[in-house]
Amino acid sequence: MVVIFVPGLAVAYLLSRKDFPGKHVVSALVTLPLVLPPTAVGYLLLTVFAERGLLGPETLGFDFSILLTWKAVVVACSVMAFPIFVRTAKLAFGEVDPRLEDMGKTLGMSAWRVFFSVSLPLASRGLVAAALLGFARSMGEFGATVIIAGNIPGKTQTLASAIFTAQQRGDDASATALLWVALLVGFAIVYTTEWLSMRQSREGGRRK
Amino acid sequence: MSEAPVLFDIDLNVPLQEFDLELEYSGSPKSLGVFGVSGSGKTTFLECLAGLKKFDDGRIVFDGEVWLESAKGKRTKPMYRNIGYVPQDYLLFPKRDVRSNLESGKKRLLENGLEFEEVFGNAIETLELQSLLDRRVELLSGGERQRVALGRALCSGPSLLLLDEPLASLDSGLRRKILSYLVKVRDVFEIPMVVVSHNPIELQALCDEILVISEGKLITAGPPNRVFTDAGVFELAKEGGFENVFNGRVLEHSGKTDIVCLESDKEETCIRLPVTGIGIGDKALFSIASDDLMLSLQEPVGLSARNCLRGWIVSISDSGSRILSRLSIGEGGPEMIVELTQDAVDDLKLAVGSEVYAIFKTNSVRILV
Repeated sequence: MVVIFVPGLAVAYLLSRKDFPGKHVVSALVTLPLVLPPTAVGYLLLTVFAERGLLGPETLGFDFSILLTWKAVVVACSVMAFPIFVRTAKLAFGEVDPRLEDMGKTLGMSAWRVFFSVSLPLASRGLVAAALLGFARSMGEFGATVIIAGNIPGKTQTLASAIFTAQQRGDDASATALLWVALLVGFAIVYTTEWLSMRQSREGGRRK
Repeated sequence: MSEAPVLFDIDLNVPLQEFDLELEYSGSPKSLGVFGVSGSGKTTFLECLAGLKKFDDGRIVFDGEVWLESAKGKRTKPMYRNIGYVPQDYLLFPKRDVRSNLESGKKRLLENGLEFEEVFGNAIETLELQSLLDRRVELLSGGERQRVALGRALCSGPSLLLLDEPLASLDSGLRRKILSYLVKVRDVFEIPMVVVSHNPIELQALCDEILVISEGKLITAGPPNRVFTDAGVFELAKEGGFENVFNGRVLEHSGKTDIVCLESDKEETCIRLPVTGIGIGDKALFSIASDDLMLSLQEPVGLSARNCLRGWIVSISDSGSRILSRLSIGEGGPEMIVELTQDAVDDLKLAVGSEVYAIFKTNSVRILV
């Protein structure tokens, strides 16, 4: 989440406020991981980070040494959580009345200050919701992770892959325990985001 | 010989949905009023001044600073125009308290070399905001929001105030109160302002020059008492008729009436008003509707109406549906518009230069501030 928060905010804000050529293409690309099979995304990442991939050691001249490490988990989860974060954050910015931002400008605020002292605080609830949803999505991430990070217990195993392993081993007790963790965390997150987005649309300042 | 630049030098062309806003104006009023019915393009004009319109074409120069010159591709961003904008819906920053709203333009005020505490204190005193400072804006009433929005604009150190329908969304009791705040702001801060309104009385009370816009076109421009008696404009404003607005000072409280002397007056003219609640020696702003006035050729006796002013007819004009006669009260005194019927003009043989007495009841005088 930490990794995608800032770029995610930037993309969400741009998509919600600015018109630029290729906006729809960017929007579609950002959403792509949401609809592709996660394993396809995983495979794509694998080729990108492979020895001769776009971001591989041979092309860059140095080695991120990502594959099959915890870093791969972060990359996979970030890519998979990005769309849902951006889409939710975009909605949060959409709830902020652009005229309030104009107001800020007439008071002599620079674009950065308008963003930080007007847009961001007003969208804050929705943004927290976006971050939580993104986190939940990465918690559930399996397909892409398994392909580029593997499923190494204690190293690259995630909640999702742990359940898979337990189930495959026939270890029902562990699988059930993990299931409960997933259920509780998942429910708490979704419940909180619902509550937050409700308050956001009531307080966003946009006139109905 | 170098002449001071005019305050406003505007030549605008903005395509709108139904018509284009085309407006050319140049002048240096302290307070410029823009009058028009709703949907005439007034707010667009204000947004152009604020720099919030993206598709404006032409030229805007304020006090020698070029804000827009589309021929040269120049367009100053709103943040550099140094304006205090008060939109009709106030646009206070939600989820914050009043103090934080008032401080949102502090940075620019400091950059303009002003003392924040001084301006802040002045604004709070003028607009009576002290008790509201820690209140969240969601909890404010309409009139309070208006005052906070005004205060926020003032506390950003603007060189021009833009007020969009400052009284339209308030009920009539509040309107009088806010109008008095606006007059105070104008007199205390002495910042040039542009006031947009569909109410002639507000504009007469606040402005020394009026632009009249209809469907995006400038119909006429001039001082309020000329503009609002113009035949075309009078028809636009007809629901309200014409109100003679006067500035005066309270001379004495006498029982159930107050006596107020008109300002900027060579010959002292005093009028009896209903109790104003204004202290002796203080300013009063009041109005008399042009159809509440009657004319007499002789000084009347035994009349219950308490006010009788001697004057001369300066002009008689036909607004289409009504005859408007302009009087000069006393020698070079204030002017007053009286609505007459053609019959009355004919019977009394009224003509330019006729000496007349304008008569009105104490209770026909409306106290504005």
